[in-house]
Amino acid sequence: MKEKILIVPCSGIGKSLGSVAREGAYVVTEELCPGRTQLMPLALLVLGDKETQIELSSAGAIAIDGCVRACAAKVVEGAGGTVAHGLQVLDVCRRHPDLKPSGISELDESGHQLARALAEEVKELVDNMTGEVTHA
Amino acid sequence: MPELPKKKVGLIACSGEEIPEGTITRLAVRQVLESLRPEQTVTICLPLFLAGGEGDRAFARFHPTITVDGCAKRCAARGTEMYSGKPAVSIVVSNSAHPNSAALGSARRLSGAGMQAVRDVADQIAGHVDNLLGLKWDRRSGRPIHGSPPEEESKPRQAACSCGSGIPCQALCVAGREVTLIALPLIFSQFREAGKLPSDSTKTELMQAVKIYNPVPSEEEAAYAQAVMQEYAAFCRGSN
Repeated sequence: MKEKILIVPCSGIGKSLGSVAREGAYVVTEELCPGRTQLMPLALLVLGDKETQIELSSAGAIAIDGCVRACAAKVVEGAGGTVAHGLQVLDVCRRHPDLKPSGISELDESGHQLARALAEEVKELVDNMTGEVTHA
Repeated sequence: MPELPKKKVGLIACSGEEIPEGTITRLAVRQVLESLRPEQTVTICLPLFLAGGEGDRAFARFHPTITVDGCAKRCAARGTEMYSGKPAVSIVVSNSAHPNSAALGSARRLSGAGMQAVRDVADQIAGHVDNLLGLKWDRRSGRPIHGSPPEEESKPRQAACSCGSGIPCQALCVAGREVTLIALPLIFSQFREAGKLPSDSTKTELMQAVKIYNPVPSEEEAAYAQAVMQEYAAFCRGSN
């Protein structure tokens, strides 16, 4: 059985874009690619959890960061993982200038739409990594 | 005149995205930051201890810290102690009065019981904040009771959120080895703007300020003072 692709969102707690990263990761792992992806909490990697590091070393990871400090990508690499793709929510924002997310604990509608747009981009990456065709 | 960052209580949530208890930590911390104790608390993302700089890692040495973990792995408490400083208080949601994880909802959508747990944990955090700051709280007015230590006015926060710039630090050479002192750039700016030139009396005052934010071993105090004064003299020459 193929290893699942790990989706690692930032643990952002201070800005809306962190919440968008998290919600986007949930959309990918629960709705768009539930059988092919697995959510990886960043906190476990910070701690250097051995089980998590082994899991990380045997699977590709997609890091989703909410700000330029890129904690998710840096921590994955620091834990010995390979960031197959690193996404910045800010870049997705630039591609969707009509969406202005707000809210942290509870994202507004614009935030949810941006999370879904982010998730669609992640799904394409997952499709490419797993060899699935998404476009006719 | 620049203000030194005030002593506030630092809150660090594990934010574990896999389990509802992780979501409870994040929402409870946000509730304290936004509503219950906005003037008394700051936060930082746990991963910044690894991905950030020295200023981020100084967080728990600068602020008395409450960590809030979702499960017994205690990533926030152990990670904070490993990279920054020992937390003053460590809360674990799964140890509290919500033994039935399934009733809390999912990590993405908490149930009513999950949201009640958020409120309970937030209250617990707020109580610890008051204890750490020695505050007594008037529940009617929602303000600290007169006679408690004065509530600090809201200032621009150096370490307010995950993307905050952290506590400013400066490295200097003390007795042949490099030492990083927290808040030193702000202390220097404050002294310079107060017109305090390098002198013996300024040295004493500077060291008093430095020791508020940094442990200084008594046997090395003279070496620290000498290094700080050298840096301060250079700082004053540079700002002329």
